[in-house]
Amino acid sequence: MSSPDGEEVLALSASYLERQRWFQRASGDQLVLSNALMSFDVLIDGLPGLARMLLSRGGRTFQLLVGWRRPSEVADALRGEENALLGPITIDGESYLAYDAIADDALCIELLRIATDGKEFARSVRRVSSLVSHSSLVFDERLFMKCYRVVEDGERPEIEVLFRLDSLGFNALLAPVARWRARDVDLALVREFLPTALEGRLLALTSLRDVLAYASTGDEPPLPNTGAPRTTFQRMREDATPEEVCASAGGDLVSEMERLGQTTGSLHLALGDAFGEQSVDTHGLIEEMGAQISRDGAEMDPFGYREPSGTLEGLRKGISALALSRAGRAIRLHGEYHLRRVMRSDAGWVVAGFSDDPLYSRQQSDLSLAARMGSPLEDLADMCFSLGVVAREALSFRPPEEKQVATDLALAWTRRNRAALLKGYLSTNGIEKLVPKDAQVVGALLSGYEFIRERRYDAALAGR
Amino acid sequence: MSPPDEAHLFLYHPSATSRDLYVPGTGKSDPTSDREAKFQRRLDPDEHWYEKAVFYELLPRGYSDSNGDGIGDIQGIIEKLDYLAWLGADCLWLLPFYPSPLRDGGYDVSDLFSVAPECGDVTDVARLVESAHARGIRVISDLVINHTSNEHPWFKESRSSRDNEKADWYVWSDDDQRWSDIRVIFCDTEPSNWTWDPVRQQYYWHRFYYHQPDLNYENPAVREAIMSAMRFWLDVGLDGFRLDAAAYLFQRDGTQGENLPETHAFLRGLRAEVERHFPGRVLLAEVNQWPTDVVDYFGDGDECNMCFHFPLMPRMFMAVRREQRFPITEILAQTPTLPDGCQWGIFLRNHDELTLEMVTEDERDYMYAEYAVDPRMRKNLGIRRRLAPLVENDRRLAELLHALLLSLPGAPVLYYGDEILMGDNIYLGDRDTVRTPMQWTPDRNGGFSSADFAQLFLPPLMDPVYGFQARNVEADLRDTSSFLHWLHRLLEVRRQYPLFATGDLYVLPADNPSVLAFVRSDIDAQTGSTRTVLCVNNLSRFAQSAELALTRWEGTRPIELVGRSTFPPITTAGYGVTLSPRGFFWLELETRA
Repeated sequence: MSSPDGEEVLALSASYLERQRWFQRASGDQLVLSNALMSFDVLIDGLPGLARMLLSRGGRTFQLLVGWRRPSEVADALRGEENALLGPITIDGESYLAYDAIADDALCIELLRIATDGKEFARSVRRVSSLVSHSSLVFDERLFMKCYRVVEDGERPEIEVLFRLDSLGFNALLAPVARWRARDVDLALVREFLPTALEGRLLALTSLRDVLAYASTGDEPPLPNTGAPRTTFQRMREDATPEEVCASAGGDLVSEMERLGQTTGSLHLALGDAFGEQSVDTHGLIEEMGAQISRDGAEMDPFGYREPSGTLEGLRKGISALALSRAGRAIRLHGEYHLRRVMRSDAGWVVAGFSDDPLYSRQQSDLSLAARMGSPLEDLADMCFSLGVVAREALSFRPPEEKQVATDLALAWTRRNRAALLKGYLSTNGIEKLVPKDAQVVGALLSGYEFIRERRYDAALAGR
Repeated sequence: MSPPDEAHLFLYHPSATSRDLYVPGTGKSDPTSDREAKFQRRLDPDEHWYEKAVFYELLPRGYSDSNGDGIGDIQGIIEKLDYLAWLGADCLWLLPFYPSPLRDGGYDVSDLFSVAPECGDVTDVARLVESAHARGIRVISDLVINHTSNEHPWFKESRSSRDNEKADWYVWSDDDQRWSDIRVIFCDTEPSNWTWDPVRQQYYWHRFYYHQPDLNYENPAVREAIMSAMRFWLDVGLDGFRLDAAAYLFQRDGTQGENLPETHAFLRGLRAEVERHFPGRVLLAEVNQWPTDVVDYFGDGDECNMCFHFPLMPRMFMAVRREQRFPITEILAQTPTLPDGCQWGIFLRNHDELTLEMVTEDERDYMYAEYAVDPRMRKNLGIRRRLAPLVENDRRLAELLHALLLSLPGAPVLYYGDEILMGDNIYLGDRDTVRTPMQWTPDRNGGFSSADFAQLFLPPLMDPVYGFQARNVEADLRDTSSFLHWLHRLLEVRRQYPLFATGDLYVLPADNPSVLAFVRSDIDAQTGSTRTVLCVNNLSRFAQSAELALTRWEGTRPIELVGRSTFPPITTAGYGVTLSPRGFFWLELETRA
């Protein structure tokens, strides 16, 4: 059987591609697809057929997997995903319908076989909704495929890091299974899937939800001394501090945060072994701190991590005074290390993903995803910051009359878990070769990095 | 003392529905049967009966005193067999009833071939077995194989000189330096595993108390003596043994003196003897190790039939305290598959401290902080409290823990008194905290004994919350809303579904970490169809919801097992469940053929 004509399929794909967010965002305003086809490789010759189309537009390369079937079979194959249709094609005089192959279960299963070079087979597949530049597929609830829509030149950083760490024996990650590469680009990544694992953010939200349940106010008379509303917890024990409430609440996360801290320490040691180390350069941090203070003032975020004695300016000066030799070692960073990037599995914490979305990466001004070296405390600061983000999210669900008590509880919760994270991190065997030995220096750097993180987050929210 | 009025004790309350009159093997209830038929059950003829059995651990000296001497006895247990049959026990596990100076609750045995006089005699044991079997209940007892009391005639002879016939029956040394790296188990009280004997002028080895010298298993005569003890009691009729301290039998330089190949070889020898002459009996090993080490005690199905799953137990308590499922799912993920015919013994509490040996130091500190605030509650590396005080008398939490116990893979082992949420007495020494007399009635001494209070082997509980006036079997039998009735009903339900005992386990993803959901399934031997039960547990003290991925069972209608109500059908969308605080559901997912 002959193959479809690539240019014909490309022309057919135009309106479909225009509707895809990943295509719109990356390709700019150019609507014309002429000269865009880079390759059209038939992967399955027969019915249903499957081809891989690479096209370029706006300086980006895109992958579209195209399937085709007899018209009478398409409805069953797509099962409600008719919006994946591209249109009619003709092969050897016969009419067929072409569509985005990711919508077809049977072709997805074939794709797994192809991507793993015949080593993996599956009986079932489901699509996981994704807003970013890849399609996510789960096979048999044990394998996960990221099929890249936006393709990058060279080696994909996520894949590079995963396979290097795996080869070193670092097992606190979703183990890579296969890498699909053709024409010198990475097309898909297959890794293990842990169905019972839970995103760190959900675990944190649940923990805080239970703590904030103590903030509920009822119809009790107000407290005699202050006249403040009497909370559920205060009905139980009037002298309890927010920290004590957090400690006694169900779902206390402290032990989990310590374990996560140790996992993070192990990750950093493995990254150091995999990609080498160098001195930490704090100049960038100092300059950015100065710039941020100048632009938006020195107000401290109450959910931020701060050295007890510090003002922001004092912190900046303290970091400036640090000799480079005291600032620890720089490693290749994770880059976007937060509670959505880690999962709690039945075997402990695992790192679920690495920063690798060319459309949503923090380095949006830099189209190449080159590795970034930095102090490991940057990653840790990111994780600390994400605790505050979760706290703010949980607070947003509480009614206004609880605000003060709930905020006190959320702050205490954030402080406790942050301290546990740092404790676990610093207890990692061998971490002293990466981080400063002086606890005050660690605190100062952590504060500085977290401050920068806060300001960038605020800027991103404000659309700056 | 005449036997208690059983017609009074086992009151048939009209509002207790005919479901209470379950007749095994028929799948039906019989509301018209009389009291005798009501409790008629038959011994499970399956050679692997222990896989499906519900075990009930009891302390003979603390269960029921039939002769008014203040100490429970075998006859007293016989008189309670109808109650145990009604409750749903399939096998009794008797703590040691052998002669003993009682410096370790009877685990310091001074004669392996007889019964302590205060408990009865060998004939009583035979009658107990016969009476229990008539009610479909089996009986096993502890067999203390690692050590004896220092008042055992064997030890007395061994220590008397260095060249007598039993000189080599224990482990002697001129100094206490050998095996110095081997951990001390009773670290609260014993500074060393060696103790100096002034008579023999040598040190002797003991992994437990100094008055419990370890037998020397290198000596074939010792191995044969233990084998003889086992044969003796199996001839009397016992259905098997819990092998106490089974991991420590041998020692070897450069090891931890645990789980040695020689130990396994001996246990396989015991098993072979049982299979040859006493088929259908069970060997249940007490081995407090990680699952990957414990699994060796099953051999290839040719060593012990059962082992306790120690690490699961503290993690159940941890999970409900942290209100997260990961402590449980983590240890389940590390639990290996067993050879055919083997089974885990799972439990919430027992006669010992709630052991925290198989958790990390941080986890141990956490458990102490949460469950043993008072230092008196701590013992060795554990917590000496009963279930009800551990959960602060929270009925819903007690129910949830029992629901987990009865639905997770393994044969559940209930501890006497937990069915009425008995309390404990932390002011008693050692582990007597959790070994107070069973509370039968609100009458004198809790109905345990007619003796004077001062004669009782241990004082019964008398506080306003857990005291026998407030908490006893008689009151709970009259109250059909009691925990006792609840547990009886749940055991009945469990018995109808063998998959709880031997089925596969599959943990389901749930987006709520406070919800533990898993599926148990097996193939129905009669119909050939797959039976599946979904167990959903809310570990939180607050109401929770979760969405479960049940598309594999699309189209089925879940049926809740206790009330038999039908839940919404399963579709391709996520299946939402809402649970009350500490609530749980058992839902059958497959339509019966």
